[in-house]
Amino acid sequence: MGKVLRVAIRRCVNAGVTILGIICLNYVLIRLMPGDPNLSFAPRNRQYIGLVEYNRQLFGLDKSPLDQFLIYLHNMFTLDWGLSYFYRAPVAEILFQDLSWTLLLVGTSTVITILIGMVVGSYAAAKRGKPFDLVSTGLGIFFYGMPIFWLAIVLQAAFSKTSPLSAYFSWWPVLPSQGRIDLPPFPQTWSWDWVHIGNALLHLILPALTLSLGTLAGISLVMRSSLIDAMTEDYVLTAKAKGLSDRQVLRRHIFPNGLPPMVSLIALDIAFVVGGAYQVEVVFNYKGIGWRTIDAIHNLDYPLLQFIVVIGGVAIVLANLVSDFILLALDPRIKVA
Amino acid sequence: MGVGEVVVRSPRISVFRASFIVGYKRFREVGAQIYHSRTAMLGLSILAFFTFIAVAAPWLAPYGPREAVSDAHPYSFLQTPNSFHPLGTNYFSFDIYSQVIWGTQISLIVGVASALVASVVGTAVGLISGFSGGWVDEVIMRFNDVVLSIPWLVLMIIVAAKLGIIDLTGIILVIGLTGWSVTARVIRSQVLSIKERIFVERARMIGTPSWRILMRHIFPNAFPLVFANTILTVAVSILSESVLAFLSLSPPTTVSWGKIISEAIDNNALGIGNPAWLIVPGLCIVFLVFGFYLFGYALDEILNPRLRRR
Repeated sequence: MGKVLRVAIRRCVNAGVTILGIICLNYVLIRLMPGDPNLSFAPRNRQYIGLVEYNRQLFGLDKSPLDQFLIYLHNMFTLDWGLSYFYRAPVAEILFQDLSWTLLLVGTSTVITILIGMVVGSYAAAKRGKPFDLVSTGLGIFFYGMPIFWLAIVLQAAFSKTSPLSAYFSWWPVLPSQGRIDLPPFPQTWSWDWVHIGNALLHLILPALTLSLGTLAGISLVMRSSLIDAMTEDYVLTAKAKGLSDRQVLRRHIFPNGLPPMVSLIALDIAFVVGGAYQVEVVFNYKGIGWRTIDAIHNLDYPLLQFIVVIGGVAIVLANLVSDFILLALDPRIKVA
Repeated sequence: MGVGEVVVRSPRISVFRASFIVGYKRFREVGAQIYHSRTAMLGLSILAFFTFIAVAAPWLAPYGPREAVSDAHPYSFLQTPNSFHPLGTNYFSFDIYSQVIWGTQISLIVGVASALVASVVGTAVGLISGFSGGWVDEVIMRFNDVVLSIPWLVLMIIVAAKLGIIDLTGIILVIGLTGWSVTARVIRSQVLSIKERIFVERARMIGTPSWRILMRHIFPNAFPLVFANTILTVAVSILSESVLAFLSLSPPTTVSWGKIISEAIDNNALGIGNPAWLIVPGLCIVFLVFGFYLFGYALDEILNPRLRRR
């Protein structure tokens, strides 16, 4: 128990250090970006000539970099994230709203991906070298190597009103491919009724499908190789020699040893999924964190951008930390320092 | 000793020679395995196909990559596919079929070059981190964690915005300098395991200086894995390039597949009845990346000691 506790504390400290590192690197990165938002927002009129200087003082841009850094740190931890330059609204408010939509998208597709990926991966491992294995592995790598934005556009076209497929199949569905919910005749303010929920779910289908297809192989391939690793161990041979059925061997010996490595790999895959979500959100005009990031970069909206980067980074670190803890609970063999 | 390790005995050869000797011996051993691996051969033949197109582009492509066509049509821009232009023409009257062929060069060059940059940086970091251990390792690995945690797309866009993408070198540097973290991690864990082998201990016992052990014994033995990893990195780099092009972060005058797709989207290729403009370069990316992944995974399976048991 003492050892487990020590590992757990170590992991927490590491995660904390990493988050601190993200916060520092983020400060440097954002200030490395070219362009001066202050200049680009001040109207080019003579009467506004003092405005640039006024804003500079207002936002503390005249202070030394160190002072600015301390202010940035203070604001970071007090959740006082300031105003977005472009939207003139509190950054925290914008981001938390976006975050919930992104979580819906990433969450749905991650759950689908993990479920299908694990089933496909373990079936392929069980049928190693057989047609199912070859086809699923080949298809997996094929989709894994597909630019996600391109897949998104192709699917968007395939389920649009003018889709060539709808000419052949009368039942071919037309799915909404823009935004999070329908456009203005539809009430825009969110309320928790079936009309809104159903509409949001309908808009979720295509982005989630794209993201799942693009990241499925990440899970299924790893699942397959992880199980095959476990299958070649000597104890599996022993178990078979004892006369256990294939099913029993799979359930009692292979799964318990093959699954734990999956947990940390799924967590690593989250970073990839988030990267994919950026592209999906841009193509589908799905206003979540990813869409907002690209938007903020275009608008030079530094306050928004810097906290987006931190949120993304922290999310990935936390996912890894959670997976470490699950692993600690699952796998008694952990001796990793 | 098996395929796993080769000890370079002669003291007077350079590190490159040493890597070459180890690489050559290992590849003679694994060459047969590659030849008999269906995945590796399929991957290799896809790569050979695209390399051929890239090399033969000047002869295969009827037009230059940015050469405006002028023909007897009522207009020469935004043509849908026809017998003169199998994929139509774009807004500037450039023949898209030729662009796709020329784009093979750019995609391959950008993919391979940026993977090389990423591999060199990642290998150096991984070697130093794994070999020195202690606080150096700790600091490097924490930094690596930070880089891995920042969403890679954002990282890439910010570096791109800072460096300014005006030519191919710019985009190669952007992708290379943001893509070394995974390589560093893989190489580090490999170094950790090589470090414990007998021949390293022997070398240390007879008083070989550390850097010499690192360069002569550890690096050559890690090299095959570096190679397999570089192949996989090429696939990722090609994808990264296309994503950057999609977000219009690409050099203005080069023609890559990602750029062609991005132009197809901007010009509403589907709406004007030319879906091939969007589909064909996309499929090219998919197949090229597929080839690199197949070859890379097969190579990894053959070379990676942990996986070889199967």
